[in-house]
Amino acid sequence: MSSQTIPSTAARAAPSTSLQHRATKRRALGSVLASAAAVLLGGCASLSPEQAIAPVQQQSQAWLSADLPLQQTDDQRAAARQRTEALLAQPLDAQAAVQLALLNHRGLQASLYGLGMAESERVQTLLWPNPVLSLGRLVRGDEREIERGLSVNLLALLGRPARQDASARTLAREQARVAQQLLDIAGQARRRWIDAVAAQAQQAHARTVLDSASAGAELTLRMRQAGNVSALRLARERAVLAEAQLAMEQAQLQAVREREALIRAIGLWGDDVARLSLPERLPDVPSTFRQADDLERTAVAQRLDIQAAKRQSEALAAQLGLTRQTGRLNALELGLQRNSSNQAPTQRGLDLSLEVPLFDWGQARIVGAQQAYLQSVEQTAQTAIDARSEVREASERAQAAWRIARRHHDELLPLARQVSDETLLRYNGMLIGVMDLLADARAQARAVSAALGAQRDFWLAEATLSQSLLGPVHDTASSASPNTSSTPGASTDASGAAH
Amino acid sequence: MISRRNLFAQMAAGAAVGVAGAVNAAAVSRVALAAIPDAMQRDTPDTAPPLSPPDGRPYQPVVTLNGWTLPWRLRDGVKEFHLVAEPVVRELAPGCTAHLWGYNGQSPGPTIEVVEGDRVRLYVTNRLPEHTSVHWHGQRLPNGMDGVSGLTQPAIRPGETFVYEFVARRPGTFMYHPHADEMTQMAMGMMGFWVTHPKAHHPAIATVQRDFCFLLSSYDIDPGSYTPRISTMTDFNLWTWNSRVFPGIDTLNVRQGDRVRIRVGNLTMTNHPIHLHGHEFQVTGTDGGPVPPAARWPEVTTDVAVGQMRQIEFVADEPGDWALHCHKSHHTMNAMGHAVDTLIGVDHRGLASRINKIIPDYMAMGERGMADMAEMEMPIPENTVPMMSGQGPHGSLEMGGMFSVVKVRADQKPGDYSDPGWYRAPAGSVARRVETPGEAPSSPMPTAHQHPPRPTAGASEAASTRPASEPLRVRKPDGHGHHGH
Repeated sequence: MSSQTIPSTAARAAPSTSLQHRATKRRALGSVLASAAAVLLGGCASLSPEQAIAPVQQQSQAWLSADLPLQQTDDQRAAARQRTEALLAQPLDAQAAVQLALLNHRGLQASLYGLGMAESERVQTLLWPNPVLSLGRLVRGDEREIERGLSVNLLALLGRPARQDASARTLAREQARVAQQLLDIAGQARRRWIDAVAAQAQQAHARTVLDSASAGAELTLRMRQAGNVSALRLARERAVLAEAQLAMEQAQLQAVREREALIRAIGLWGDDVARLSLPERLPDVPSTFRQADDLERTAVAQRLDIQAAKRQSEALAAQLGLTRQTGRLNALELGLQRNSSNQAPTQRGLDLSLEVPLFDWGQARIVGAQQAYLQSVEQTAQTAIDARSEVREASERAQAAWRIARRHHDELLPLARQVSDETLLRYNGMLIGVMDLLADARAQARAVSAALGAQRDFWLAEATLSQSLLGPVHDTASSASPNTSSTPGASTDASGAAH
Repeated sequence: MISRRNLFAQMAAGAAVGVAGAVNAAAVSRVALAAIPDAMQRDTPDTAPPLSPPDGRPYQPVVTLNGWTLPWRLRDGVKEFHLVAEPVVRELAPGCTAHLWGYNGQSPGPTIEVVEGDRVRLYVTNRLPEHTSVHWHGQRLPNGMDGVSGLTQPAIRPGETFVYEFVARRPGTFMYHPHADEMTQMAMGMMGFWVTHPKAHHPAIATVQRDFCFLLSSYDIDPGSYTPRISTMTDFNLWTWNSRVFPGIDTLNVRQGDRVRIRVGNLTMTNHPIHLHGHEFQVTGTDGGPVPPAARWPEVTTDVAVGQMRQIEFVADEPGDWALHCHKSHHTMNAMGHAVDTLIGVDHRGLASRINKIIPDYMAMGERGMADMAEMEMPIPENTVPMMSGQGPHGSLEMGGMFSVVKVRADQKPGDYSDPGWYRAPAGSVARRVETPGEAPSSPMPTAHQHPPRPTAGASEAASTRPASEPLRVRKPDGHGHHGH
């Protein structure tokens, strides 16, 4: 081991520890043999899928404050169903959307079965290798020799602790995979909820624009009928109305699409789909948004991809130790021989068969294992670099989105309101006409719509940031992307030029 | 009301206007001031009583509407005046003040009254942020006293005091105003009145019992703001007499039988047909002097062109409250929008509630006309007087701008210029409603509602919305950049 050049202290420490561990086990071999039966029984008793799922359930609580219940019995399924109905009984908030996703995502349940399978594999390795019983009857003239042999694959026994470690690692890896899946599903549910609420709220502003354009067009039509305006003015106002109608169509379609994306993300079907109701608006953007300084350290400590990469390196390091240990002993078989003859006293003895390492000294396997280990060390480093960069970017984006959303909330919206108030005063004073008032109502609705877009972008960025501290973010958003917030009828106002 | 210069008040006024406070404070030292007469200040826009001459040749003083006459100092037989050009805050009407430039605390500046033959010395101190000069519009004087900066004199720089001196050679009605950056300074309200009384009886100048004077000026103050937009050339929104608008203009109160003279000078950018109700008058003088009696004819309206002076006279023999106003109807309005759609005859049924859904405080106005405006009294932008207002004994006058009332009363005492209140008409002498059962008011646009729109063969939907009576309707062209206000 000392000849290896391994960049990470932590990684170097891991294999030597497991070597010592293995030496201890080797010394205990005798006692292991003696207490074989007990171990056998004990291995059988620990087979429980719930045990394998518990760590993921704990992560779900710790990270998402949401339950991840098993749904393998009818009772469990009925309980999950009840919770779903209770959550759908009121307008769905973001946390409820996450909980619904965890309750209803079939893929997640499939993964939980997978954890049960991995657990059973692990338990398998706890069992002793079955002994081989050999019986022989040899006849030489009158001599009849009966050979009885009980043999145990010693190598299998020797490698048993390593295989137990390996299967435990497989289980852990599977748990980490499910945890990542959990994060993905929860993150997806949260983001689709944000999009769906925002799209639904956008509809309201598109409605205001449409109402205003519609009143304007109607008024212009009546003015036209009274002979007060030209066909040109009427055509312009009608064009404003038509564009507002188009914008309304788009807003409606967008709302439907985002709602369906949410429905997919939280796994609703049947009557539940109709029962889903959303709040009218997103939560307000917080007045302060300051992040911890040690975001990157937190991420490195808890991100699933980094932990998985580290575990992989550890596993390979352990495997390297195993290969060194058994590299020259491809088969080691211990047999207990009892040969009884009717003409001779019973022959007893131990029989040890050993392959002679004449051609394959195991060098290739040792080198291969070393390469695999070093490869995983490099991969771990790359994963950490990527993860830290992702977290930094997510943090910057969330900060920027917060500043933008606050500027909308603190400056642009109050200014739009003030403009509207002042505009109304000017209408009251007959300084401007009712068409100007209606055009201003449209402008203000657009300002509110833009503010809502910024609010949505902030919550999306915030969700991505908090998820990126736990694992890589895979956003499979189908439609809207941040900073392309739909502003219904943004270019539809021709009435200003109509005078 | 008229006070000696108070340096602190002056500084405060400068600070209130927000312009050139530093210039004001540093302008004139007290030592320099000692050699020249005090610059009298006035801090109210009320009409000052006539200033009877304390010394010099006697004359019948004028009353400056919402203004005052500048006291002088008689020194070695010379009448010395001191004008201070400076930023002022002028109340145009209650609820609307303007940040203007003027003289001695007000815009317009004080009226200067002298007598034919007087030697006059006028000190002019500049407390403006830029140079100025004073042109004595219409006077016979030495060329170097004409006040055209660059042409007849160097401009008066900020902080400087110049002196003008000449003999008031001919009796008449004159004005003074800057002739340096003239457009800006007049758009900011710098102007004043000048009356030279005849030294003896003049065959073309009658003796009158009441003699009023005012200047016409116009401003473009964006509703909600205070300072005129000095680049506006035609589309002004405030039409003023002595920088006041109705209902802020004082009434002209006279005794029945008085011979009344009203002198009107025009320093706006357009002409003003000044119209008097209930009496005929004659134009008895211009800034060129008295009109020979044989050349006069009776009028009820006289047009005062740009840069002109008209002096009208009549005998106020009909008691009552008689309107006196510019006959351009939008000049008797205050700030209004000139691009507001006409809604007369437009059916509003169902629409107002739809608009209210979007704009809760919206109220429908204008479908019958604009009189709603005066009735509703809704909140309007700060520092803005309603387009039309003013309450009389019978309701809203629906007026603004260049409008006032000549109040003729039998019991108005000679020399009493106070407001006698509304006229109490003798019983039976007021127009009244008569009972005519069964008659409903006709629709303002009869044809629009009586005939459905005529569909045209093969026409689009838009064409079918054509007004039924379109061919009968005549509309004036309404292009941009139109003149003639």
